[in-house]
Amino acid sequence: MLPPTSDGRSTDRAVFVRLLRGVRLGTPILLGYVPVGLAFGVLARKAGFSAAQAVICSATALAGAGQFIALSSLAAGGDALAALAATTIVNLRYVLFSAALAPSIDASQSPLRPLLAFTLTDETFAVNTADARGGTLDALSAAGVGAVAWLGWVSGTAVGATAAGSIADPSRFGSNFAMPAMFTALLVGQIESRRHAEAAVAAAGIALAAAAVLPGTWGIIVGAVVGAAYAAWRSA
Amino acid sequence: MTNDGVVWAVIAGMAAVNFLLRFVPMAAVSRTRIPEPVARWLSFVPVTVMASLVAVEVMRPDGVWQTTIANPYLLAALPTAATFAKTRSFLGATLVGMAAFLAFKALLG
Repeated sequence: MLPPTSDGRSTDRAVFVRLLRGVRLGTPILLGYVPVGLAFGVLARKAGFSAAQAVICSATALAGAGQFIALSSLAAGGDALAALAATTIVNLRYVLFSAALAPSIDASQSPLRPLLAFTLTDETFAVNTADARGGTLDALSAAGVGAVAWLGWVSGTAVGATAAGSIADPSRFGSNFAMPAMFTALLVGQIESRRHAEAAVAAAGIALAAAAVLPGTWGIIVGAVVGAAYAAWRSA
Repeated sequence: MTNDGVVWAVIAGMAAVNFLLRFVPMAAVSRTRIPEPVARWLSFVPVTVMASLVAVEVMRPDGVWQTTIANPYLLAALPTAATFAKTRSFLGATLVGMAAFLAFKALLG
């Protein structure tokens, strides 16, 4: 917290120091986001986005896997509604993150809330909650973390979207498997316990059965929603 | 190829949806709490989303069912998962997966 002061210059300096602290905490996130953002840029061009549309999408959504599944839905012939339903399900976890972070943001810092909400991702959540354990989460520092993460995601997308055009045939490099590979890695990262593994098996089975009868990506949505309900019921 | 209007609709909708998912709980949680069963359900959603995605992407790539073992998508998923489990690197796992996919595709003709 800032000490009360009448000296505007030292207040500005304190603000700068706290922001800078966030920038430092967020730099590893930036390094991780650039290559994944780059992959999004390339795949978005493949799905029919212009380079500008790919960058605007990353800049306004900042939604990681949620952006990839929207592409996947469009590539499978889905309409805008199916793509939005898919991104909503994939990013439902943000509801939990957001609720978990709320109490550690001081009421006096609430003007920063929309910004903190906008830059909430798996990685910024991890950094900020670790930071919050040491006391009241510093919203300015958290804003610095978010800004750096955003920069990494958007700049990676820009590079990928611009370079995509100069790669004549991306499938020669196995690009057809880029998205499934990323989802596979994310899946392995999510399996933290036996219950999670059981939930994954149930969801996969339900999704395949549902995909056999439902159009587009709706099978995936049913698998996710019903699979999670089954796992929650089993662990009750 | 996707129609330009659809792309813009998806971009605008994604911006709105992703902001609301992250902002509404933060703004409302001081007054309400997420009921325990809902929180438990939400805690499984990330893993079930990814499992559903992988299952369908691998067994029905580009909308075509590939239900035999001679499926390069299915085979390439194995080294991808193993690489991530060992290294925790998204980039490494993705690159290994793409290389394995090309190799299996070449092998299977």
